[in-house]
Amino acid sequence: MFLAWNEIKKNKLRFSLIIGVLMLVSYLVFFLSGLATGLASLNRESVDKWDATAIILSEESDKSLPQSSITTDEVDHIDGKETAILAQLNAIATNGDTKQNISLFGIDKEERIMPKVTEGKEFSKENEVIASDALKEEGFAIGDKLELSSSDEKLTIVGFTNSARFNGAPVLYSELSTFQHVKFGEAAEANGDKINGIVVYGENVSSISTSNEDLEVIEIETFIENLPGYTEQALTLNFMIYFLFGISSVIVAIFLYVLTVQKISMFGVMKAQGISNGYLSRSVIAQTFLLAFIGVTVGFVLTLTTGTFLPSAVPVAFDIPTMIFYGVVLTVVAILGAVFSVLTIVRIDPLKAIGG
Amino acid sequence: MAILELKKVKKTFGSGHKQVDALKETNFTADIGELIAVIGPSGSGKSTFLTIAGGLQNPTSGDIFINEQNLSDFNEKKRSKIRLKEIGFILQASNLVPFLTVDNQMKLLDNVKKDNMSKAELEKLYDDLGIRDLRKKYPADLSGGERQRVAIAKALYSKPSILLADEPTASLDSDRAYEVMELLRKETKSNKTTTIVVTHDVRLIEYCDKVYKMTDGVLKLEEKQAVLEKKSS
Ligand SMILES: Nc1ncnc2c1ncn2[C@@H]1O[C@H](COP(=O)(O)OP(=O)(O)O)[C@@H](O)[C@H]1O
Ligand SMILES: [Mg+2]
Repeated sequence: MFLAWNEIKKNKLRFSLIIGVLMLVSYLVFFLSGLATGLASLNRESVDKWDATAIILSEESDKSLPQSSITTDEVDHIDGKETAILAQLNAIATNGDTKQNISLFGIDKEERIMPKVTEGKEFSKENEVIASDALKEEGFAIGDKLELSSSDEKLTIVGFTNSARFNGAPVLYSELSTFQHVKFGEAAEANGDKINGIVVYGENVSSISTSNEDLEVIEIETFIENLPGYTEQALTLNFMIYFLFGISSVIVAIFLYVLTVQKISMFGVMKAQGISNGYLSRSVIAQTFLLAFIGVTVGFVLTLTTGTFLPSAVPVAFDIPTMIFYGVVLTVVAILGAVFSVLTIVRIDPLKAIGG
Repeated sequence: MAILELKKVKKTFGSGHKQVDALKETNFTADIGELIAVIGPSGSGKSTFLTIAGGLQNPTSGDIFINEQNLSDFNEKKRSKIRLKEIGFILQASNLVPFLTVDNQMKLLDNVKKDNMSKAELEKLYDDLGIRDLRKKYPADLSGGERQRVAIAKALYSKPSILLADEPTASLDSDRAYEVMELLRKETKSNKTTTIVVTHDVRLIEYCDKVYKMTDGVLKLEEKQAVLEKKSS
């Protein structure tokens, strides 16, 4: 640390540059990870809210909730686990001023899937819904009468709940009977037992089974991965993040290598004096650690600061443990970049440095 | 007592008709407290002699004893430890670390080695060398003479038993060169080190106890007075 720190202190400009580059790279990584988290929760937060183990859909729906059609009595064929029925459709809702894509969930209020109301009250009458508070930000309010694109029914918002978006759209929760009216209109009575899936709560997915062969038990994480666009999005963003790890390692490697080459004769003189390879290598590693640590920390703070100024329409959500993990990875790959310099130092012949 | 001994040491570079006998079979002994000069023309083998004596390169044959330890018994890692403990190098150009202040040049040694000079000893050394006021300065802010005095302080700080100086005055004008030699003499005597100074400047041998002359790889003890007289005539 002694050599490392003193060199940084003496050559502030030079090292500020590398710290600056590392800061920008980490800023980008943190931001992309925030975007990944934000976009992911846009898709999955309502599913996470179920806090369920698995979902049962019809086999032929290919793990897609809207495509699945089953009946409520399937619940009886599921082995002794707590369940919740779920019906779902996508629609466009308007309160007269604002139009918004929504996802309507038809549920049984008495079951575990019923969300906690954060504002207003639970639905109790026909055509009452509670809405994702994402709609509140779009200008919807309690008491609003909603017209839906596919139905003549008018729904009334009686309450809000948080973290409730499904596959990008804010969710409206209603009683199953309300849902049936929206979906089937006149034919609601006849289709009263039609739902899309059954959410199951158990210890693990292997403990859940159904005797009906036309149904499929899908683990929640698998279900999420099969939401349209979800996996593609995550892969793209993660790929960019991994790419940035590589880039920062290469940047650090090149920068430190150039610095090390400039100092070959100095290292040689030190080695002639008897200062060990180990000490000099540790010093380069310590220096890299310091640079990466400072750069990443500044990038971290900068990201969070920027985050507070962003409009809510930007789907970023900062998950601190993930960011810390990425910060550690960035520091580690930077240190990997220092390996070239260490090899260079080990290979220096002190005799050449001293000259004749 | 012999602190440094070379027994039948030879160094050849290359082979066939490109072979250079940089150092022909050499026996050499240096005692504690001696200031020894090695003079000779450029290319005669002085640096080869000095770097072999300091364990920086291996001889083609023969043995080197430092403080009664045979260097041929050790690998580079161990030799590096011996250099750290027993030897101080002073080189032609400054061997200071550019980004450390004078004080920190010494501190660096505290980081890698125990039993360096005490605070009081260092203060005295600074005074002896007249560099007390420079302690907070970086090498780039020092003159050539000042840098060389700091280099001497650094070499002595680890309390080596042997001080090896390869043309320590080459980058200095003659007044500064005499000054540096005087300091080397003073420190050699007061710290009981053994100092070998390689130089091609014959005038500097005045300060030395013994004078060796290197000619084409052959090291020969000379009469100091004779060398000085030959020079002035
Ligand atoms: N690493 C080496 N490879 C080949 N020849 C060398 C090497 N080092 C020194 N020599 C040769 O050995 C001879 C002595 O060199 P050196 O000890 O540097 O002389 P001096 O220091 O007296 O000027 C010279 O002829 C030089 O060219
Ligand atoms: Mg030489």
